[in-house]
Amino acid sequence: MNKELEHSFVEQLQKHQNIVHKVCRLYTNNVDAHNDLFQEITIQLWRAFPKFRGDAKFSTWMYRVGLNTAITLYRKSKRRITTQGFDAVEFKIKAEEYDDTEEQQLKLLYQAVHQLNDIEKALVLLYLEDKDYREISATLGISEVNARVKMNRVKKKLKTILNP
Amino acid sequence: MDELELLKKDWNKNTAEFKNYSDADIYPMLRKKSSSIVKTLFYISIAEFVFWIAINFLPFILSDTYKERLEKSYENPWFIVLTILSFVVIFVFMYLLYKSYKSISTTDSAKKLMESILKTRKVIKYYVLYNLAVIFISIPLSMYFEFNQNKVFHDQVEAFNSKQMFVLYAATILVTGIFLLVFWLFYKLIYGILLKRLNRNYKELKKLEV
Repeated sequence: MNKELEHSFVEQLQKHQNIVHKVCRLYTNNVDAHNDLFQEITIQLWRAFPKFRGDAKFSTWMYRVGLNTAITLYRKSKRRITTQGFDAVEFKIKAEEYDDTEEQQLKLLYQAVHQLNDIEKALVLLYLEDKDYREISATLGISEVNARVKMNRVKKKLKTILNP
Repeated sequence: MDELELLKKDWNKNTAEFKNYSDADIYPMLRKKSSSIVKTLFYISIAEFVFWIAINFLPFILSDTYKERLEKSYENPWFIVLTILSFVVIFVFMYLLYKSYKSISTTDSAKKLMESILKTRKVIKYYVLYNLAVIFISIPLSMYFEFNQNKVFHDQVEAFNSKQMFVLYAATILVTGIFLLVFWLFYKLIYGILLKRLNRNYKELKKLEV
């Protein structure tokens, strides 16, 4: 791999690293696992980079490789097994920005999202990132209609988790 | 309000908590080793080839009597054909495996990627099944050849009464059965653990299509 390619990759990844972080946030529940998955996604992105042609946006391409790594390729390393639940590393919600009920609701929401299965999480991530159904369906390899149906089911499921 | 809309509002505000990696942090990451299931699968398949090739050739290297007898067997043209054929099979499998590894791409859709991995696993599975079948056939076959060529064994078996014959058959079947069971369990275990999550997610995607 030549230096130039490596430099261009690192530069772009550095700029868009939050995409990887968001995938990690959804699929892991502690800091060690987060860093581990970040590392693996970085390796997979770098390996796939020579095939990246630039006809898609770098960020769009990152979602695909990132999610594929999280859903399919990633093997939780044994060193990382911890008993720490996600409550302990909760997403810090700045109190001043929200009233109490909204803050509480958000906390519950994040917890509910963590209870979804891997595929449902992928849908949620792409939805939250404002991807349209065409892109969601292409990323997961399902039809657009099925992506919509599944998304509605996920919304329902979240409602049930929140209001049992 | 829709729950997800509420989440969306918050989603991008929360990124400040993420560690911001610098270029200098990222460079070493590119050199770290991957721990993906594809890599593990690759190592397993290599081990598979080494194992079965070793099973076939170790006796030849280790035992002089076996070597002598094997060299004698080569006088039979059928044996040469079979040996060549078994090499051809190994190469065909290696080629298929190489091809299916090449087709695994992280830039495919999630479903396609899972399918490519499952296909690779299938190639390994067929290779193992092929080897098990060969063993399954060669145990009774070698008994038969022993019976015809090895005079001591021949006379022994000739002298067997029906009860002893039954024991011989039962023992052959039992040994073959245990052998197959152990292998089956072994594969169930490694692939079961390795591909559990992948299978679950693949089913979830397939479920949408019905």
